[in-house]
Amino acid sequence: MASARQDATRGLIAFLRVLPSFTPYARLGFGRQEVSLIEARNLTRKFGQLTAVEDLSLDADEGEVLGLLGPNGAGKTTTIRMLAGIIAPTSGSAVIAGHRIPGEAGPLHENIGLLTESPGFYDRLSAQRNLLYFAGFFSNIDLTAQVEKYLRALGLWERRDSRVGTFSKGMKQRLALARALVHEPKVLFLDEPTAGLDPEAAQQVRDFIRRLGGAGRTVFLSTHNLAEAEQLCRRIAVIRTRLLALDTPRNLRDRFFRREVAVRLQSVTDAVTQAVRNPPVVRNLRVDADRLVVELAEPERQRPELVQAVVDAGGRILEVAENRQPLEDVYLKLIHEDTPREP
Amino acid sequence: MSRKRIRNILLKEWRVLFTDVGNTLIVTVLPFFIVGQLLLYVWLAVNFGGEKALGADVFQNAIARLTQAQPAVATLSSVEQFQALLLNQFAFFMLLIPVMISINTVTFSIVEEKLSGSLEALLATPVRTWELLMGKALAGAIPALLVTWLCAGAFLLAVVALGWGHLVRLVANPVWFISLLVLNPAVTVLSFLLGVIGSARARDAKNAQNLVVAIILPLLGVVAIQVTGVVWFTPLTMLALAAGLVVVDYLALKVAVRLFQRESIVVNWR
Repeated sequence: MASARQDATRGLIAFLRVLPSFTPYARLGFGRQEVSLIEARNLTRKFGQLTAVEDLSLDADEGEVLGLLGPNGAGKTTTIRMLAGIIAPTSGSAVIAGHRIPGEAGPLHENIGLLTESPGFYDRLSAQRNLLYFAGFFSNIDLTAQVEKYLRALGLWERRDSRVGTFSKGMKQRLALARALVHEPKVLFLDEPTAGLDPEAAQQVRDFIRRLGGAGRTVFLSTHNLAEAEQLCRRIAVIRTRLLALDTPRNLRDRFFRREVAVRLQSVTDAVTQAVRNPPVVRNLRVDADRLVVELAEPERQRPELVQAVVDAGGRILEVAENRQPLEDVYLKLIHEDTPREP
Repeated sequence: MSRKRIRNILLKEWRVLFTDVGNTLIVTVLPFFIVGQLLLYVWLAVNFGGEKALGADVFQNAIARLTQAQPAVATLSSVEQFQALLLNQFAFFMLLIPVMISINTVTFSIVEEKLSGSLEALLATPVRTWELLMGKALAGAIPALLVTWLCAGAFLLAVVALGWGHLVRLVANPVWFISLLVLNPAVTVLSFLLGVIGSARARDAKNAQNLVVAIILPLLGVVAIQVTGVVWFTPLTMLALAAGLVVVDYLALKVAVRLFQRESIVVNWR
């Protein structure tokens, strides 16, 4: 009897252990532990007298798409190269997918994928040959099946026998994504993945990156495209040699700009403005032509109350929208704040 | 795993190399063309060189050294002695073939990788420095040595075909075999390593191939010295020369391995 109870207990424990992997359960987010697949601590890299990256610390969780923004020469590529184990930090360290750098670059490379700034293929070889070559350096993968899987996933299967030299830049970039993924890495480093692509090709690449994050892969995305970073990334790191900010796009906005709701009305009357002016809920109020621009303490919670107040005061609402400051403004403020002023 | 990776690199190098017509011709046709051309010069020299050339002091000195090394030469006519002297220089000319093929292959390979940006993508894979170097070295060395040995065989067949068969034993001597089997591989390795060093700094393949001059000139110097009889290479001096080359190979290998570290490729290569 006791043995049966023990067996049942063991069975229950085993079931609870595997439960998080059941798809519907996992999709709801239950059982998921936040596991950092990128943990960088005080990374610094100097080239002679020049400091390319200074004291950079950041983390990225499993399944997170983390954006890396910064002006040219800010150290984005150097950061990626350090995290990908291609160059060693001058000081500091990182743990990527469980492998410490400096020191474990060999096993690390089995678990990361890198999309470099230029696609970098052998133009005289076919797409399939190129992928088979790069995939051939990884252990324990079914070469042919994996190459076919990613050529199909990126819409290149029909052109698999064509020489890469005949490919457009967008096709080469998709092939480079396939190369970065062919060994199913846990962490993916993407350096300017949509640079120089036409809007359609860029959108295809973005859609694919979005799906990667959804599939539980950690993506470290360096880009100059702020809209792209906002679309794809849960959090954004802004660097200029050192880390200037690391947060969600919304929190970054809140750091520099007030949260405002713009209510467009058929006409703005005194009755409406009086009804809406209700401190401390409304922190600030201004009239901008046919719009009431209201700064709220908690916009998500207070927006219905605001709308109700406008309607009760006889206001006829045409549109209600959050007055979102472009991420570009946040970025420029961060960079501007970091720029040393002329004496 | 290493063997699999090296094989992967080797096959890719050949696929890329042999889809380029210029490179294919350099590896497969040009060496045989050079051998044929040199044999033609020997035939012309022997048949139309005239008594003046045969009697020149510079050749007489060399023929005396040849006779000293191979007494059977004394039994030949003066024209045949002259032939034997010229044919004996082929062991050194054969050194030019692996130099040419190795340097062409390695500079083409590395400079192409630099220009296309494929090398950085490769550095993010688990490939090791020595595997990459070995794969690229074998990709140049295997065709270089095979073609050299085929050219050597073709040369001996041509000597027989030209009616000089009785001279074969004087040409295919220990010096010839040491040159083919020891000196040629050592020179092939050196050419590859110098090609790597040059390619790391060069912006294009032509620029890197200028290094060929640095290797070919001393080799031609060796040939020129022997034909005058001032220096004569015996099996012992050939082995000493090979040993010296192995030391140079080792030093060049150390430089090449340092240059081929991931860090160096990304930071120092231009």
